[in-house]
Amino acid sequence: MRPRDYGLRLRHRFSRRAVLIGAAQTGLFGLLLWRLRRLQIVDSSEYQLLSDDNRITAHLVAPARGSIYDRLGRIVAEDRENFRVIVVPAYCDDLAATLDAISEIVPVAASDKDRVMRAARRQSGYFPVLVTEGLTWRQFTLLSVLAPELKGVSTDRATHRRYSRARSMAHVVGYVGMAAKAEIDEHPLMRVPGFRTGKAGIEKGLDPELRGQPGSISYEVDAHGRVVRQLGATSSVRGKDLVLTIDQELQEIAHKRIEGLRVASIVVLDAVTGAILVMASFPSFDPNEVSFKVDLERWKQVARGEDYPLENRALRGLYPPGSTFKVVTALAGLETGVINPQERMNCPGGYPFGGHYFRCWKRHGSVYLHEAIKQSCDVYFYETVKRVGIDRLAAVSRKLGLGQVHDIGLAGQKQGIIPDTVWKRRRFGHPWYPGETISCGIGQGYVSTTPLQLAVATARIATGRAVRPRLIATPEAGPEAALLDFDPLHLELVRAGMVGVVNEKGGTAVRSALTIPDVQMAGKTGTSQVISAKNRGFLKGWYGETHALFIAYAPVGAPRYAAACVVEHGGGGSRAAAPVVRDVMTEILLRDPAARPAFIASNQGAPADR
Amino acid sequence: MKALFAEGLERPQVKLKQKLLSLNWPFLLLITAITLIGVAALYSVAGGSLEPWASRHVVRYCLGLALLFIVALSDIRWWLRAAYPLYIIVLLMLAAVLLFGVESGGAKRWLGYGEFSFQPSEMMKIALVLAVARYYQWLPPSQVSWPYAVFPPLLMIGLPILLALDQPDLGTAALFGIVGGGLLFLAGVSWIYFIAAFVGVIVVLPHVWARLHDYQQERILTFIDPERDPTGSGYHILQSKIAIGSGGFAGKGFMQGTQAQLNFLPEKHTDFIFTVFSEETGFIGAAVLLVLYLLVLLFITYMALRCRSTFPRLVAAGMGLCLFAYVFINVAMVTGLMPVVGLPLPLVSYGGTSMLTMMVGLGFVLNAHVNRESRIRREEFGPFW
Repeated sequence: MRPRDYGLRLRHRFSRRAVLIGAAQTGLFGLLLWRLRRLQIVDSSEYQLLSDDNRITAHLVAPARGSIYDRLGRIVAEDRENFRVIVVPAYCDDLAATLDAISEIVPVAASDKDRVMRAARRQSGYFPVLVTEGLTWRQFTLLSVLAPELKGVSTDRATHRRYSRARSMAHVVGYVGMAAKAEIDEHPLMRVPGFRTGKAGIEKGLDPELRGQPGSISYEVDAHGRVVRQLGATSSVRGKDLVLTIDQELQEIAHKRIEGLRVASIVVLDAVTGAILVMASFPSFDPNEVSFKVDLERWKQVARGEDYPLENRALRGLYPPGSTFKVVTALAGLETGVINPQERMNCPGGYPFGGHYFRCWKRHGSVYLHEAIKQSCDVYFYETVKRVGIDRLAAVSRKLGLGQVHDIGLAGQKQGIIPDTVWKRRRFGHPWYPGETISCGIGQGYVSTTPLQLAVATARIATGRAVRPRLIATPEAGPEAALLDFDPLHLELVRAGMVGVVNEKGGTAVRSALTIPDVQMAGKTGTSQVISAKNRGFLKGWYGETHALFIAYAPVGAPRYAAACVVEHGGGGSRAAAPVVRDVMTEILLRDPAARPAFIASNQGAPADR
Repeated sequence: MKALFAEGLERPQVKLKQKLLSLNWPFLLLITAITLIGVAALYSVAGGSLEPWASRHVVRYCLGLALLFIVALSDIRWWLRAAYPLYIIVLLMLAAVLLFGVESGGAKRWLGYGEFSFQPSEMMKIALVLAVARYYQWLPPSQVSWPYAVFPPLLMIGLPILLALDQPDLGTAALFGIVGGGLLFLAGVSWIYFIAAFVGVIVVLPHVWARLHDYQQERILTFIDPERDPTGSGYHILQSKIAIGSGGFAGKGFMQGTQAQLNFLPEKHTDFIFTVFSEETGFIGAAVLLVLYLLVLLFITYMALRCRSTFPRLVAAGMGLCLFAYVFINVAMVTGLMPVVGLPLPLVSYGGTSMLTMMVGLGFVLNAHVNRESRIRREEFGPFW
């Protein structure tokens, strides 16, 4: 036979066998259909019974959120009992009618009804939806009695967040709210009714620690969603407690002190451990108002209110440090060896450079380093910074903790700007012009810092150690911060100047000296201009006023507390900011919180390296 | 001369257009319909949300569609040359899985790391079909049933089966067996061999049983009697049956499946997606889906029958066998007709590798269909290249 015939025979064989296989496939699919008919039609009622038996509903139980304490164990934020009404839309005959029935007992806002109806359409009907919360005991008991009559309705006791000394602590502790859409998608657990996540402050920054693990209760329910019996439960795990380094009482005092001002903030650190004792920012808000039973109108008022009360100025306010920065310039001058502490410079009231005349605020005459710091002579620092150069100034600034974000567990901190030639090229694509260096020497120009950074810099100058700020207290004290590689003699010279500012005749803040016997405070005033060549003429009234700044540490002999205060558009630093620091510092020294051991919570979270 | 040249220049363009016209568009419509059923089921499983599965399923389908077109419109002769090298590469990868693979759920199946991991066993299904078809394209028709000529394809099929059993992945091994055996049958190998193999299996089966892992033995035993361990391995199949059965004739309604929505089902977005779908749409929905699959299969058989040359004919039929094996094993598994072996439902289950391989496989079916009239002569290709 010829091969061609073989090919043809094979093709016919393929056709026969392909049809055979096709038939077999059809037959086997028939088998599947027969099987489905058996399950879904013949035995269906039996399986439906089994399925109804099966309606074990597993309710996720939101865990209690960890409490937040201040350094002495006073409650800052805790969970309180909260009575709620919940509905499972799938079990309701008529959801709208059910909601109307509920509102005869408990007032339910029209917007809440809309929200429930929307949720019922959008997600599976078996997810419970929160109707309203914060019921009184009377309402709660009444509804609990009636709930079996209303299909799909149930009541439960949950918790809500309560903040004490709310306004003064608002920016530090933050607040909680219902999980946003993005968070829900990321973690289905967030659909648990009433589950709240941190939205700002420590509540947000350390949310994973505070949150805890949800538990679940499985109920056997009948076809109408009524609980037949509870089958089993895994208990929720309470979130970790946190202890802040803040002293609530002092925080309240500081908040009261700056309340009269329009916009101000103050930070006080333990200069040895870096613990933040006070971090107050004004204007403030009440976190209780925005965490529980939030009124939308009220929320808008807070979020878009005048001067933005939600902003934490202590870490998000960026200000030119003004003359407070002179201590940095002085240290940079000494460290680089370009100035001699005994060297005298003449201040004729201004400083010509590159065709521009840089003014001093006063005609100081002949001054040396100590007098220059004490009297805040601009000309002395113009000359110093010209010799130091911008890059070396920036290096010293960064060692002191300026121009960087300090990880203390709060999100949204501003980094500020410590300019140098690299920064300028990257930011603007231009080289650095020597004329720009001059104003940087007195903390103007591109330089900008936050109050927290200024407080850290002050603490570092006061102790000579690389102090790291922290907001979370740990049970055991960390190792002492490493020494900064500055010459101790140079630091001592700068500190002597700061002591002079407050305590010697002719100092810019002598009027703010402490009145406690034998205890002295050292500091530096700053008055920074907000009007520049660019915005001249635009900023009117309050907005055109200078910022008032003051940095300080005390006691002089053994520095323990370092502070920085900024009063926005407050005028002169010696007049507006220094008295605030004096008053707060006095209260702190009288109480000496650093001498008392920090509170240890029973269920304390161990924040990693903070 | 000039006219010839011009013609030669224009040819590829005309060819592409012709190729596009000769694609089987109703077939593509069927595939899309099945995928859309998958999207709806995944949307429902996620509790009424496009995230995390449904939206990605669509994206993967679009990617797969692009691959399908590329494969369908590519030159069939190129694939004839690539068949053996491809098979060897995938075989090596399959072996590599045993050495360096990532373990997941008691079996080593994945190669690669994190986002970039994939299952070589999926690619093997395509490589195997191509290699066997390539072999019969070369083999003189008169020798098809000669003993020594049956040996090479048996080796091609046997090696991946052994590697899959070693992973251990019973479902994939069974799939290789069905696809390979079916191809030999379609290629024209004499009935005698199949009868012999059947007898052989019956003899060998007790020994294989002894070699199976405990969990596999357990699965088979609980399949025979699910009540054996209603909370353990029998639980899944029992819950799946309850879900399907309680769906009844018309189903519980979209997104209303209590079994699925209340988390009684395991892996409901992958292997048990059919359960979710038939609980919510009932016998009607399940039957519609099965009929859609059957239409696709019959289309494939029809396309294979129309091919003039051996290679495209066997490639199309082989891919059809593969699709059939997937659907049958998966549905038989979730309805309690077969032990749980862990195979996805093609185009409906969530899973990247399975979706992409299935689309490439269907691309080969269409490639065969496009080349149905072309005569590939036996002498064009050597034994290996």
